[in-house]
Amino acid sequence: MMAVATFEHDAELMLRVRDGDAQSFSLLLAKHRGPVIHFLYRMIQNQAVAEELAQEVFLRVYRSRASYEPTAKFTTWLFRIASHVALNHIRDGKHERHQESLDGEGTEGIGRQVASRAPTVEQEMVRESRLAEVRRTVESLPAKQRAAVLMHKYQEMDYAQIAAALECSESAVKSLLFRAYETLRAKLAHLAGRG
Amino acid sequence: MKSTKGSACPVERGEEEILLRYCAGTLAAEGAAQLEGHVTSCSRCRMWVQEQQMVWRALESWELEPVTADFDAALLARIAREKEARPGWRGWWERAVGAWSGGLEWRVAVPAAALALLLAAGLAVTNPFRGEPVETAVRLEAREIEQAERALEDLEMLRQLEPPEEDKKL
Ligand SMILES: [Zn+2]
Repeated sequence: MMAVATFEHDAELMLRVRDGDAQSFSLLLAKHRGPVIHFLYRMIQNQAVAEELAQEVFLRVYRSRASYEPTAKFTTWLFRIASHVALNHIRDGKHERHQESLDGEGTEGIGRQVASRAPTVEQEMVRESRLAEVRRTVESLPAKQRAAVLMHKYQEMDYAQIAAALECSESAVKSLLFRAYETLRAKLAHLAGRG
Repeated sequence: MKSTKGSACPVERGEEEILLRYCAGTLAAEGAAQLEGHVTSCSRCRMWVQEQQMVWRALESWELEPVTADFDAALLARIAREKEARPGWRGWWERAVGAWSGGLEWRVAVPAAALALLLAAGLAVTNPFRGEPVETAVRLEAREIEQAERALEDLEMLRQLEPPEEDKKL
C-alpha cells in the first residue's frame, strides 16, 4: 500500500512539474536529493563529484519534464537516470582522476568524524580501517554490479526496479547481485568477526 | 537430504538466491519460516546466511557525509541560467513562478542562488575540493555546452523509459 501511495504521489508531483509547478519540483528534490547523492557517492566515492553528478541528474529530470509519462515508478525512473550518469562518468574514465582525493580528503574526513565521538584511539583505528575496507571492496566491484548492490541494499529496490534502472533483464540483475555478493562475502565476511 | 534433486537445501540445489532474499527480508513470511527451519539445521546454509549478514552489517556501517547546504540553491541557479541561455524555457519558468502562490520565495531564492553560485565560483579559487580551481569558470562554460548537447541524448534515453516490468506485475 505504501509503495502505491508513494508511486502516485511522486508521479503526481512530476506531472505537476510538467505542468509548470515549481514547488512540486522543490518537493521532489527535497525528498530524493539525499538518496540520489548517497547512491552516487557510493558509486564514485567522492562527495564533491557525487554532488556534481547529482546536480546533473536533477537537471535531467527537470529538462525531461515535458516528455514525462508516469509509466514507471518515479524512483525507478530517477535511478535509471542516476545510474546512467554514474556509469557514463565511470566509463568516460573521469573516475580515475578522483582516486587521489579519495584517499586524501575522504579518509581524513572519516578520521575527524570518528575522533569526535569514539572512545579510544585503538577503536577509532579499527573502525576506520573497517570502513576503508568496505569502501575499497565495494569500489573493486565492476560498475554495474556495484550499482545493482547499492540499489538493492540501500534503496531497497526489487529486481524488477533494478532491471529497469540498469536496462537489463531481471535474470541479469539476479546474476549481477549474486556475483557481487559473492565477492563481498569473500572479502568482507571476516570483518564482523573483529568485534 | 543427500539427493540434490529432492533436497530442501538451497546451497545444494545451487539456489542461493533464495537465501539472499531471506537475508534481505523480502521472502514471504511462510517461505521465510520454512527456510529458517532448514537454515538452523543445515551448516552450509547457516554459514552462507551468517556471512551474508556480516556483509549486510559491514555495508550498514558505511557512514555518509552530509549534503552541501547550498545544493538546491546551486541547482536552481543552474536551471535559471539555462533558461537565460535558452529562452524557450523562460516562458515555462515565468509561468511556474507566477502561478505558484509561494512564488515570492522563488523570486528571492533564485537570485540568492545565483549569488551563492557567484560566491562559490569566487571561492573555488581557494577551494581545496576542486582540482584545477583557476579554470573553474572556463570549465563551467564548457560544461554548459556539453550539457546542452546532452539534452538531446537525454530525451532519447528517457523516451526509452517505457517499463514493461511494471505492467507485467499488474
Ligand atoms: Zn542447506
